[in-house]
Amino acid sequence: MISEKIIQKALEKAQDAQVTVVTRETSAVDFENNRLKSAEASQRTNIDLKVIVDGKVGISSTTDPGEIEGVVERALEAAQFGSEAHFELPEPQDLKTVEIFDPSLLSLEKTEMIHMGQQMMEMIKAYNPEILAGAQVNKVISKIQYANSKGVRYSADHTDFYIGAGGNLIRGTDVLFAGNGFGQKKRDIDTEEIASKAIELFRKAENIVPVKSGEMPVIFMPEGLLLLLLSLGLATDGKNVLLGASPLQEKLGKKIADSRLTIVDDPLVQFGPGSSAFDDEGTPRQITPIIENGILKNFIYDRDTAGRAGVEPTGHGSNRNWTNLMINSGETSYDEMIHSIENGLLVNDFLGMGQGNPINGEFSVNVFLGYKIEDGKVTGRIKDVMLSGNAFTALDNITAISKEREWVVNPYLDFSGFFPYLQVEKLSVTAK
Amino acid sequence: MKDRLLQALKVHNVDYADIRIEDKYHSWVNFRGTDLDTIGSSRTLGGIVRALYRGGWGYSTFNDLTDLEKRVREACEIAHLVGKEETLFAPVDSLEADIPAQLVKDYREIPLAEKKALMEEYNQIILGFHENIKTSNVRYADSFRTIWFANSEGTYTREEIPDVNMVVSAVARKDDIVQRAFELSGGFDGFQSVENCHDKARQASQRAVELLDAPPVTGGTYTVISNPYMTGVFTHEAFGHLSEADFVYENDRMKEIMVLGTRFGGENLNIIDDGTHPGGLGTHQFDYEGVPTRKNYLINEGILVGRLHSRETAAKMDEPVTGNARAVFFQHPPLVRMTNTYIDAGETRFEDMIKDIKLGVYACDMIGGQTAIEMFTFSAAYGYMIRDGQVAELVRDVVLTGNVFETLKNIDMIGDDLKFAPNGPGGCGKGGQYPLRVGMGGPHIRIQECVVGGQQ
Repeated sequence: MISEKIIQKALEKAQDAQVTVVTRETSAVDFENNRLKSAEASQRTNIDLKVIVDGKVGISSTTDPGEIEGVVERALEAAQFGSEAHFELPEPQDLKTVEIFDPSLLSLEKTEMIHMGQQMMEMIKAYNPEILAGAQVNKVISKIQYANSKGVRYSADHTDFYIGAGGNLIRGTDVLFAGNGFGQKKRDIDTEEIASKAIELFRKAENIVPVKSGEMPVIFMPEGLLLLLLSLGLATDGKNVLLGASPLQEKLGKKIADSRLTIVDDPLVQFGPGSSAFDDEGTPRQITPIIENGILKNFIYDRDTAGRAGVEPTGHGSNRNWTNLMINSGETSYDEMIHSIENGLLVNDFLGMGQGNPINGEFSVNVFLGYKIEDGKVTGRIKDVMLSGNAFTALDNITAISKEREWVVNPYLDFSGFFPYLQVEKLSVTAK
Repeated sequence: MKDRLLQALKVHNVDYADIRIEDKYHSWVNFRGTDLDTIGSSRTLGGIVRALYRGGWGYSTFNDLTDLEKRVREACEIAHLVGKEETLFAPVDSLEADIPAQLVKDYREIPLAEKKALMEEYNQIILGFHENIKTSNVRYADSFRTIWFANSEGTYTREEIPDVNMVVSAVARKDDIVQRAFELSGGFDGFQSVENCHDKARQASQRAVELLDAPPVTGGTYTVISNPYMTGVFTHEAFGHLSEADFVYENDRMKEIMVLGTRFGGENLNIIDDGTHPGGLGTHQFDYEGVPTRKNYLINEGILVGRLHSRETAAKMDEPVTGNARAVFFQHPPLVRMTNTYIDAGETRFEDMIKDIKLGVYACDMIGGQTAIEMFTFSAAYGYMIRDGQVAELVRDVVLTGNVFETLKNIDMIGDDLKFAPNGPGGCGKGGQYPLRVGMGGPHIRIQECVVGGQQ
């Protein structure tokens, strides 16, 4: 096996070594502008090596399995001037069981994936033929192997399946984009539901309605919560905490959010889009509460950051990414939430997320897809509206959490989530 | 490699096919705070075959180069599954070229230890600058890419693309307020482009500290002056993406909006995308379909006169090819992308631009920008209020947003001081392809009635 050879070679000069080998076969079909545009087959190999020489770390990677000497040599070179290792490679441990492989995806052919995409596009066109519809169907079969010089040998086969549908609608110079998608580690995905949710986004946007600047209640749709979670993610990243850059640094064990709010990262959801049994550092995955009844419970640590901070790694990989982020449901139905608002917004997507100063919680974003709520009803789409505020203040000023929850899965996102609708007491809205 | 590629392409049974192979060596040094965060290197080798059959594309991407013919066959099979219409693909002359890198100071010969030592100097300057500086982020990266391209029409090219870049960033904190400021450097001509940047480390530190005491800008509608770096972002984000023909060619409504000959701005407005601009981050001799790059006027004296094309969009819109099919990494098929995009210099001096503004915002440099056809939003790294014709107090959290069609018409003055944004890491994202290296620039410009986000 290639990882054995690399470890052996590295140990000629290094005291410790770990290798991650990921091989991936992807099959994808892509519909754009009402037609099947392209399809793709891809084969990928990635080998990552980390060595520890005299207490110093060196890393390197390659995509070429024929290049064992090169990858070892470069890691050893980097280790000469590398950062000090504040961690030990993990010993073998028992992994939790989690379902991540669905054999029925192996036999799924491109022709059938094309058929799924076509079905969703036809539903969207049937709702409104003016929409330029698009769809994506994507399946990935991968093998992830982790091995190290302490005797750990983990291997996992994954199947990932993602389906998305949406489109754009242009009226005059007005352009509306909307879409919905879902992914998981098994085949059973309801294409009709995805297309219906995309259509619902368009249906609510049929009218464009004016908004007056001011402070008002805002309901974050599950996708819209990514705006608030971006700041939470940065501020609970153990590395930011260690470096003194997080505003939550001193808040562990303290109340930072509404007491009805609980946020847990759960990598062990059966067939969950972000599920797995071990991370790329060989740390077993585990359930990590982030916020429990409003109390900040944990920061996210990789092995090295954990070593520096004197805590245990949380099993979120070297990049400290969430896996399946689960937010609890509440007592209020979505309909009740809408009915309770006289003048407010329902928001789904933003432009300009992450600009400004997200770690502080501050945001000032253009509402890319959002709706106005008037007298207890969603009356239409809003445009040219900036939403400003602070994510941490918002999470501490929640009016209601919905009973309903939805998965938020996006191929461009490095985690997935299962979120309710969240009503925030008030935020600042600037309209032109 | 030439014979291997052209030989493999012989098995194709489609209207058009090409292969692109990329071999990339990459090394990096990152400091965060007092610690060396990571240091390392990587090699990525891989390729893509594209096959076009009756208007449908089949792609095969791979790391394993042993059987290229198999990949060509695979892409062709997929194209046959997809293609049901007619292939329209602009004809171009086939060419053969070999373009070696031109480096003043070759970073491949500089040991990692030396790169690390230089970054450590910058890092020390930041950390020692002021008691309110809590941490730093100094990131150095270089890459050396060799790209081989061949197509079924006989074109064969080999191009070396060097790249060195660096960002020095300071994080200051006082109580609950955290502020960040950064400076960039880098280029395509060698290691010297990141040397002697000690002043940049000082400038970033100084600004981060000053921003701690700067109030957030009050949201509202203002007359805004944008500095050259910000103008570049605006030009790229707000207008440039609209000129990418792949947004337009299959979209009848977009075609109506983007009719050539339509007035988009005042007679002082000229917007250009130039893939031949010397030293530009988006400069290439030819694009990833083997089409030579050129200087393309998009807006000339306020009138829309051109747009950016791949061979497919050019044929479908019956317009000339422009050399704008570009891809980020080997696994990506090329999309229509910008190269170096800028507003051309006008005649107004900065003093004349500002003197009659009673209350306005001077937006400087950028943190990020995003666009969705007509809507854009972009964040200044910092800004100043303009009061009674003067640059007044420093403000933070300056985010500009609006509708591009209105905003272009609201540019009432264009400065005489054209500059390109500094080289640094990052680039443009589109269709999941990030970061594509692009150049952007312009002079100071003045925009009337611009929405600035923020608390009221």
